[in-house]
Amino acid sequence: MRTRAYAASLVLALAAAPAAAQQTVKLFSIVELSGPGTTAGTNFKNGVELAVKEVNAAGGILGRRIATETYDTQTNPQTAKALAQKAVDSEAFAVMGPVFSGSIMVSMAETRRAGVPNFTGGEAAGITLQGNPYVFRTSFSQATGMPKLANYLASGLKVKSVAIVWVNNDFGKGGRDQMTKELAARNIKVAADVSTDQGQVDFAAAVLRAKQANADALFVYLNEDESARILRELRKQGYDRPIVGETTIMGQKVIDLAGEAANGVRGHVGLTIDAPNPAIRAFGAKFEKEYNYKSDHNGIKGYFAVFALKAATEKAGKLDRKAVAQALKNACYKTAEHPGLLMDVCFDDKGDIDRESFLVEVKGGKQVVVETLPPLSKR
Amino acid sequence: MSLGLTRAQWLAVLAVLVALALLPLGLKRFGIYMLSLWCVFVVAGHGLNLTMGYAGQISLGHAAFFGIGAYASALLVQAGWSFWLALPAAGAICVAAGLVVGFPALRVQHHYLAFATLGFNVLAWLFFRNEEWLTGGNFGVRNITRPALFGRSLDGDLAFFYACLALMAAASYATAWLLATPWGRAFAALRDNPIRAESLGIDIRAYTLAAFALGALYAGVAGAFFAPLVGYIDPSPFHLTHSLAFMMAIIVGGAGRFFGPFLGIAVLILLPEWLRGISGGALTRIAQEWYLVGFGVLVMAMVVWCPGGLLGLAGRLRRRA
Repeated sequence: MRTRAYAASLVLALAAAPAAAQQTVKLFSIVELSGPGTTAGTNFKNGVELAVKEVNAAGGILGRRIATETYDTQTNPQTAKALAQKAVDSEAFAVMGPVFSGSIMVSMAETRRAGVPNFTGGEAAGITLQGNPYVFRTSFSQATGMPKLANYLASGLKVKSVAIVWVNNDFGKGGRDQMTKELAARNIKVAADVSTDQGQVDFAAAVLRAKQANADALFVYLNEDESARILRELRKQGYDRPIVGETTIMGQKVIDLAGEAANGVRGHVGLTIDAPNPAIRAFGAKFEKEYNYKSDHNGIKGYFAVFALKAATEKAGKLDRKAVAQALKNACYKTAEHPGLLMDVCFDDKGDIDRESFLVEVKGGKQVVVETLPPLSKR
Repeated sequence: MSLGLTRAQWLAVLAVLVALALLPLGLKRFGIYMLSLWCVFVVAGHGLNLTMGYAGQISLGHAAFFGIGAYASALLVQAGWSFWLALPAAGAICVAAGLVVGFPALRVQHHYLAFATLGFNVLAWLFFRNEEWLTGGNFGVRNITRPALFGRSLDGDLAFFYACLALMAAASYATAWLLATPWGRAFAALRDNPIRAESLGIDIRAYTLAAFALGALYAGVAGAFFAPLVGYIDPSPFHLTHSLAFMMAIIVGGAGRFFGPFLGIAVLILLPEWLRGISGGALTRIAQEWYLVGFGVLVMAMVVWCPGGLLGLAGRLRRRA
């Protein structure tokens, strides 16, 4: 009796089959909507949805409407993998996300096997080093971002030593390794190397160690939520040296959470809604109107991903996944033809991107762009 | 071996196995993957059910054993070993680890044992994360290949599902057999009253250690299959929270009941995915959003009112009817 009941429940549990629709372009957002990646994933998803709305209002991609479905990875790589399979099973035309590097590393094997273009917000260098022809970034890899920041430390701030506080996950460890290399190449000493945990709440010990290292500057490389916590702790302990970061710590969500403690933080960002660029400003305003809060870089990534897909599909001229992936290799797209991209962008053969980026400083609770850096290829 | 089952009961077991074998034919890759995960986790669940449900030794280190098995098999396979050699090696390493963790259980019980095993899980997880030279640290072990059996590659999803199903059937049979031997009864005696058990001539020292070693063996073998199933491992699935999830699954299913792990793991792994898959009205949305809360409340309710888990509940209702 028992066995029969359980077998029946199992059959029931697996009977849900998604219905197929022919006339739409199926887009699956596989993002972090719970767990440590919630901030990043939610912004990315909102960016995707805003872009989809605009594209559909303007007639869709090659005349077809985009239909989206969103799944929550719970910031768990194994779940992300399962969901990528689910998207493939449902004949996804393209997959957006996940944002966390650890998740995309696992899930992209599924989209690759099925030949489905997969845009990610992940920044770990390893993502595009696996020879996967279907994975595309929406932001810089750490291998691009860190040298730009190291240059700023060496020639902008002219520091001789740096303390590093990093989050011990694949994102933080990858960035820390890359940065250590870049600093060594510029003869900047690493005075303290402080590892912290994903989801860590108390940063008192980490800040104390950074203070005691007595370095000329502090480089903080944590995910969004943790960045806000450490900024508050730094302010509490009266840290008075420059605090620099790469993208995450200057994010709008971090500024909102850290409040006054975020003022004075500076560094390099690939994307910011405060960029001196009318298209990005307009996006920022639309996003805020739609969702009642300011987008961070992940919102721009999601928005960009949809328009990059649209641009590549139009270049390919047909709804063919392989042709679309091909159209994104070694290709440049201009905002003159595709305003949704917000900035001129070039994809290389590995799926990495190149475009302008910014040196920013947080002043009065806002990111202020200090300098616009040209794309790497233009230097 | 009859295991005390009647002919009709054997036929029922066979029918369920055939049904399980046919089930994936109507499913796509996602469904097959989830079913394979279920099989693998049920094997690990049998292990915890032996340690905790039958022998009464609280273990919050089950995910660590699962991880040790996964890493051992993945790393050995990447070092050029055959999977079929790496599998027993992973099992042996886990037995050794289980014996080591079993020693505190000779001295402490209940909450204190929970703390000791919890410490072991944290230690193992830190090892997975920090010893980058061996485990790859946060970057994990990538591109874990699936084995071949008798010259046939198990790389396909369906083929590997059948491997997982065969493993589950074998592990379930082994558990049933073990429980029918004096060992099984000795475990129960140890759980119910260690002093009485000892006075009856049961070497409680040996049986306590054996309970941990056996539980670890099941977890290790399951872990060894988990690595090639997912194709990638990093420290996250072996975190302490997953040990807690294992324990909750066993409690919800029915600790110390043979079919407990089947049901508990289904509630833990398949139910949320199924809820995710159905789109529907407000009720479904509520079920999706409140799943974790519901699961937690269910565990608490089970512990207070129905220590026998869902299976115990079914039995109780039947008796009342």
